[in-house]
Amino acid sequence: MSFETFVTDKTGLQKFYEAIIEKNETYAPVEKFGNFDFKRITRLSECNPESPIEKTRSIKPLFFPRSAKVMKYVATSAGTEIAETDKDPLAGKRVIIGAKHCDARALQVLDKVYSWDYIDTDFRNRRQNTVIVSTRCDKAAIHCFCTSLDYDVETLDAMDVLIVNGIDGKIYIRAKTEKGNAFLKNFPTIHDSQLPENEAAPALKAQYEAFAATFRLQMNYREVNEKLSKVFDSPEFESLSSNCISCNTCAFVCPTCHCFKISDEKVKDTGVRYKSYDSCNNGYFTLMAGGHNPRPAKYRRWRQRALHKFVYYKERFGENLCVGCGKCTFACPVNISIFEVVNQVSDTAM
Amino acid sequence: MDYTKQIREIATKLFTEEKIDVFVGYRTTGFDENQVPVIITGLEEIPKLIFNDKSVFNLTNYLKQEHTRNKRVGLIVKGCDSRSLNLLLTENQVKREKLFVIGIACEGVCDDEGNKMQHCTECMFPDAVVFDEMVGTTHDARLYQVNADVRELASKSLVERREYFETVFESCIRCNACRHSCPLCYCAKCVIDQETSTLYHGANTTSSAFHALMTWSLHLAGRCVDCRNCESACPMNLPLHLLHKQNESVIYENFQEHMAGVVEGDRGAFYKYSMKDPDDFIM
Amino acid sequence: MEQLLVPMICKIDKIIQETPDIRTYRLKFKEEGRMEKFSWMPGQFIEFSFLGSGECTFCIASSSTRKESFDCSIKRAGIVTADIHSGLDEGDEVGIRGPYGNWFPLNDLKGKNLLFVGGGIGLAPLRSLIQYCIDNRNDYKDFTILYGARSSADMCYKDEIKEWQANKGLRVVLTIDKAEETWKSNVGVVPKILEEVVKPVIENTKVITCGPPIMIKYTIQSLLKLGFADKDIITTLEMKMQCGIGKCGRCNIGSTYVCKDGPVFTNEQLKLLPDEF
Repeated sequence: MSFETFVTDKTGLQKFYEAIIEKNETYAPVEKFGNFDFKRITRLSECNPESPIEKTRSIKPLFFPRSAKVMKYVATSAGTEIAETDKDPLAGKRVIIGAKHCDARALQVLDKVYSWDYIDTDFRNRRQNTVIVSTRCDKAAIHCFCTSLDYDVETLDAMDVLIVNGIDGKIYIRAKTEKGNAFLKNFPTIHDSQLPENEAAPALKAQYEAFAATFRLQMNYREVNEKLSKVFDSPEFESLSSNCISCNTCAFVCPTCHCFKISDEKVKDTGVRYKSYDSCNNGYFTLMAGGHNPRPAKYRRWRQRALHKFVYYKERFGENLCVGCGKCTFACPVNISIFEVVNQVSDTAM
Repeated sequence: MDYTKQIREIATKLFTEEKIDVFVGYRTTGFDENQVPVIITGLEEIPKLIFNDKSVFNLTNYLKQEHTRNKRVGLIVKGCDSRSLNLLLTENQVKREKLFVIGIACEGVCDDEGNKMQHCTECMFPDAVVFDEMVGTTHDARLYQVNADVRELASKSLVERREYFETVFESCIRCNACRHSCPLCYCAKCVIDQETSTLYHGANTTSSAFHALMTWSLHLAGRCVDCRNCESACPMNLPLHLLHKQNESVIYENFQEHMAGVVEGDRGAFYKYSMKDPDDFIM
Repeated sequence: MEQLLVPMICKIDKIIQETPDIRTYRLKFKEEGRMEKFSWMPGQFIEFSFLGSGECTFCIASSSTRKESFDCSIKRAGIVTADIHSGLDEGDEVGIRGPYGNWFPLNDLKGKNLLFVGGGIGLAPLRSLIQYCIDNRNDYKDFTILYGARSSADMCYKDEIKEWQANKGLRVVLTIDKAEETWKSNVGVVPKILEEVVKPVIENTKVITCGPPIMIKYTIQSLLKLGFADKDIITTLEMKMQCGIGKCGRCNIGSTYVCKDGPVFTNEQLKLLPDEF
């Protein structure tokens, strides 16, 4: 299904953003210590919707917070009460601007795990109440490989509104979902500049092609999936994981990693239970109380992460648990590239 | 600074004479100027090795990793790296006889933009203090200087400093990459990760980040060698060196100009008692 | 927030000291009428919170056919379990989430001979099924329980085992690892006693086994040697879990979620999993 496309220029886009911020609870990339993280903003000047991809953290924490309060409780000798938890601060109607398309796609991947069997209603509500406005990149960064994975970046509908900086200098705004279409109706200045599909489609295509031509990294994900499914016993894992320092950064910045831990903070009688990020690279991730650890060696944990992304999740939910954003590689203190290693491992497959 | 040729020659000699089992060095990523640490196991991999001013990561971190355990290791250390190695030796984490250390007389390493890193311009010990073979031209003795940003921080009031660090801790995502990348954090289970602890508890709140990072920096007080592995690992680019350098300057001032890891066997400011230690805070 | 992870409050009705390091906690929901609505199947597990210390995964050690309360047998092994042992008394309140996971294939067991092979605390999940089967005794044929522990003092559910021994419909074989003066029964590890003393009928028999990983491994080996088919050997896996609902990723073995697809597996299923458990 195709939705309406509108055309504007830099000033028009700025006004559009300002109108969004004025009317909505808006989140955007805000710089701190040279890094961009998505934060609540009230003025456009606080953020940079076109923040560089290598320095921008994902939008995942707005849906799956780095630490979420599970509940608050009061435990005294008189008994234990689970006090009402605070209202979910992320559940309201809101708009995200400046999201990268890979991050938006990651949410579609996460939808699968959050909606099988037990449905995570909190995650679902946050998803439903959020309008994602995403700008398609103009140029791939050095570790990007989103065009090589199992989704079509050109037709992706993970964002509600897509903004494209056309190669003709014009800016195209296109609704990608019903929600996005309805959202755009609130902005008359944009809505008056509708472009017929026969003009919009070629302009968007031209930008996509120029963008797709900038990728350094390309792979055939089907081949990689196929080969990796056979390499569990490969001795290569041992040597390939040798320079990993198990720092967990990759998992914490990954837009699709979703492992978490549950921990309690208790001061006197009152406690708070948190659900926070965790990483399978942690040595004690699978360590059991009796001392048994199914993944005691680094290469086993490292293999788990690689195969979970490219084999296990695919088997289970039909998608790769990687969107090719390159965030792990940008963040890695020893510059290990996930693209490089999965390709190296898959080359060892018979 | 490019010592690739010398490093390869020494590594070739070590493998040929069977003096080491593995060699920890750097290789290029193959597509940009950044480098990847590499653990090589034989002569055929030596052409991978390089060393120049992008060889940033402190390789002594790998002495706590599985792949070097119980092996004879060849290792490249710059000035700061050699001081962390000294501490690991002093704290019985590695055995000297298992190591062959290539010391570098370091001219300073560069950041992503190609500028010399700030801590290198103010480095007091650019030359490796422990080595089996030295590469490069050694430097004249340098004076201790407190970094400009640390001086600025120290000039602020306690309240202002606390406020500043709260903005830092607010951005912490508790991934613990700082700790894992630190060569001197080798505890099998960090105090911060204890399940019984309801202060640290692993959740990403400003207060738990405050506790965790403060505890961490105090465990490294008098031990931190300012290699900045932690800062390079931090995905949120937090200025973690401010914590450590502030500690360092206080210790330098109060504990007979103590600098961590400069002398082999030196147990560090907080681990020994001297009659000259300040005691004016004791009632 | 995070509705799925909020526990319900239970009161500890009774604490039974089974062995020096295992205690059984008999629990009842605090909320009126909740206990009646709570139903579970043998083999399922719960998330047990000692609020302020942490959350742990334990199987339910009693059968839903005896519904006035439910049991959790907890061995002191790690930090939270040590806290539970030292910090909880009768009347105290804990948080419970669940029941989670799959259960023993009750339909497949009907009309079959049942052989239970348990070791140490591994008798806990079996006990739930044993109670269930005793309460539906007519559905099953021969009924054998082989239970081993390190010593006679390390045996759980001593009183209940006496009841089982007195039950004419059950055959109970006990063993301990090392001989003791007052011990009249078998001495030796479980797989050895299985082969030498129990000598099970293979025809039409299902084996349900649980115990320490090493015991399970060797028990399965000797069961296969005796001629049992993989599909007739049923075990329950121990795996680190945290959410219990297929989200947190901790219990992944390959693409399998032990908390959802398990914890009960046949040996046939286990053989398909990567060797990481």
